[in-house]
Parts: sequence; C-alpha cells; structure tokens
Amino acid sequence: MRWRPAAGTLVLVALLAAAAAGLARSAAGAGQDDPVRSVTADLRCPACQGESVADSRSPIAAAMRQAVADQVAQGHSRDEVRRWFVQRYGPDVLADPPARGVELLLWAVPALTLLAAGYAARRTLRPRPRRTDDLPAAPPADGPPPGGAARRAWRWSALGLITVVVSVAVAARGLDRPRPDPAPADPVAVAVGLARDLEAQDRYDAAAQMYREALRDRPDDTIRLRLAFALLRAGDATGAGQAAQEVLSHAPDSPDGLLVLGLAQRRTRPAEAPRTLRRFLTVAPEHPAAPEITRLLAAA
Amino acid sequence: MIRPVRRRPRRVPVWPPLVLAVTVAVGVVVAVGLPSGSTSPGGDAGTAGPPVQAPALSGPTLDGGRFDLADAHGHVLLVNVFASWCGPCRDELPLLVDAGRRWSPQGLRLVGLNVRDGSEAVRALLDETGAAGLTVLPDPDGTRAVDWGVRGVPETFVVDRDGRIVDRQRGVVTRQWLEQRVAPLLAG
Repeated sequence: MRWRPAAGTLVLVALLAAAAAGLARSAAGAGQDDPVRSVTADLRCPACQGESVADSRSPIAAAMRQAVADQVAQGHSRDEVRRWFVQRYGPDVLADPPARGVELLLWAVPALTLLAAGYAARRTLRPRPRRTDDLPAAPPADGPPPGGAARRAWRWSALGLITVVVSVAVAARGLDRPRPDPAPADPVAVAVGLARDLEAQDRYDAAAQMYREALRDRPDDTIRLRLAFALLRAGDATGAGQAAQEVLSHAPDSPDGLLVLGLAQRRTRPAEAPRTLRRFLTVAPEHPAAPEITRLLAAA
Repeated sequence: MIRPVRRRPRRVPVWPPLVLAVTVAVGVVVAVGLPSGSTSPGGDAGTAGPPVQAPALSGPTLDGGRFDLADAHGHVLLVNVFASWCGPCRDELPLLVDAGRRWSPQGLRLVGLNVRDGSEAVRALLDETGAAGLTVLPDPDGTRAVDWGVRGVPETFVVDRDGRIVDRQRGVVTRQWLEQRVAPLLAG
C-alpha cells in the first residue's frame, strides 16, 4: 500500500514543521526591535531568583540595564556585551549558558533515545525476507502473521508518544509566558520605582528627592503628585502645596491634587483648607480618602 | 497440527540489557554530576577566586574632592558598595569606618561606592552613622558597581597594595571577617 508511507511522511513533516515553528518562536523572543531589551532578557539578575535583568525591579538589575544601554549606545555588539558581563559575573549570568559537560547529556540523551527507538522499530517492523525453505507451506490464514503483536505494540506506542507530544504542546500554549508590560530600561521608571521602595520604608525625604530627579527628566503630573504626597508625609507642607498647585494648574479638577493641596493647607493656610477639601469631595466622592476627609471636615 | 519448530537458534537478546545499563550509567552520572556542575563559581557569600586586577575607579567624591584608585597604589583598599536605601549597609558602616580609622596608620584606606542614591539621602546616612569623613564616590546609575561585578548591596572588596581584588564579601562584613581577611594584608 502506497498511502501508508505517504501518510507517515506527512505526519513526520508536520511534526518537524511544528517543532521548527515553536523553536523559532521561542528563540525570537521579545524585543527584537529593542537591542537593550534583547540583551538584558538573556542576562540573569544576580540579586534575584529566576528573573532576567530585563524583568527584575532590583536596583542592581536596573544598573545592569543601564550598563547594557551604555554599551549598546557605544556600538558594542550583543556578544561583546555578553562577554563583558561574563567577565564580571561568571558564565551563570547568561540565561542560556553554553552547554558543557553534563548539560550536553540533557540534549544527547533524548536524541540517542529517539535514534535507538527508531532503530529498534525498524528492526521489528521490517518485513522478514521470506525464505521458502524455512516454512513448509503453512497456510497463512492459520493465525496472526509472526511479528504481528510486535507491530501492533509499536504502532500503539508511537500513537501514544504522538498523543503525549501533542497534548504537551497544546498545554504549553495555555502556559504561554505572560508579558504584563515590557517596560524598557527607563531611568525615570527606575527612579520612580526606587522612590516607591523608599516610601515603603517610610523614608519620605529620600523618596521626594528621587521623585524630583525623575521630574527633572520627565515633567509628568503623576510623578509630581507622588512627589507632593511624599513631601506631605515628610512634613514639608509648603513643598507639597506647591507641587499640588502645579498639578492643578494643568488639571484643575485633579482629585489627588486637590487632596494634597487641601491637606497641605491645613498646616500652612488653615483658613483655605476646608474649601479645597470640599472641592475634592465634590470632584471625587468615591475616592478612597473621601470618608477620612469627610470625617476631618466634620471634626473641624 | 503441530507447528514446526523454528530452526533458527534463539539469540540471547543484547539490546535490552545494554539500553538498561546505559540508562543507569547516564542516570548515575547526571545524579552525581549535576549538583557540582550547577554551583556558581563565586558561591553566594564567599570569596573571589584568584586575585584579579581591580577595574578602574575614579571620579569626583561626594564632598567635592576627587578619588582615583590608581592613586591608592601601595595602600590596602576596602571598597564598600552601599546605598542609603539599604538597611544592612547602614548597620555595617560604623564597623567599617572604625576599621578604616584604626588601621589607617598601617596603610588601610576605605572608600564607599554609593549606588543609585541621592546626595542628600547619603549625607544624612553618613551623619547618622558617624561616617561623615568617609570618602564617597557617587554612582548614581550603578554602572560602576556593575563594572565591579557587584551582585547586591552591601558588598565589600579588598584591594591589595598592587591594585588586585584579593577578597570580596557579599552582604554585611563582620569584625571577624575584617580581622581574618584584611588584617593579614596590613601586617605584610
């Protein structure tokens, strides 16, 4: 029958094509257009567990992103940058270190197993040359042909193997890596992240300083509001009020701007505070801080 | 009807035991070899391997002066990588400053590499920890620290009189570590 080898070849070609497509997809990765990201994605963050330099929020990873960006800007190639990092952090800094020694076995064993299985299958399934002097005219309809059970076993195991591979492939699609926000190495974002960490440690002075640095690079109202909050918590009501005023000059109805301004005014100009806070309540009655402000106003 | 007996002599199967033996051998090799293969060359807290030439380190200091590692030739240098946002750094600074003061006659110099920090914040830290006289080299974007292969803060490098990194401590240094790793270099 000709269709069997044809079908077998077709299945093999389909499997190989799928494997090649999968390999290409995983090798391509993200950030082909961003050379810094493509390098940092393949560097392991030395201060974290299982995170790449591109994804980690740790300050050292941020510094490493900056180092990569500097070197890329100087025209260094991807390999040069990787070598530079290996010299300083050892080969383990690479997310895909060159396979050596025992690790090569991880690749060699499956390949050898497949080869051995293929060879064994070939031996079993190959039709034995019929030797006329071997069998004295036994009627073929007498029972299953010799090797029939082995053939069936091979066929079922091959089918099982393919099922396993296909189901793993299908399941793996569901586990596709989530990519929440492929944030490029952005000094402003790094400064803001650092400032948030400082705020978490109740070090509002230092946080405000970081926000100021971030604002120098990117005058942005969100950062300015965070600066205003940090200043307020650091006890600098005048500075907080100024930052909030600046936000309000762009967006007069910014609820957070009104909130910080009102709270700052409670210390600097107590007479104006209730008016600002009432405006805050009118603009954003659903704001998480609204109940607290209502209480403050009622107590005043 | 009796089936004719096969004339071909039944061969002793070779493949199954061979495959089994190879599998077991590979398993043993992998089990024994992997743990040693996966350990990083630097370990997690330990020392650096053979001494390597220290990367260049120069620039304006926090107090407006200038520092150059090349000028420290002939001194034993402790390079402490720190930041004001790092709690353990705050804890170890007094010990380092004390060691720097005590061993300065024997030729020890202490320099702080201040990673990703604001100048106000680090000044406050130095005041709080009694380290106001410390030579601090700001590293606002952290790239100098990366050049030194820093994995986290705090981290402390020992540079010998020939400008080679002979030791490093990842994490907080202790009095014992200073006595064991730094004092012998000063005696020589």
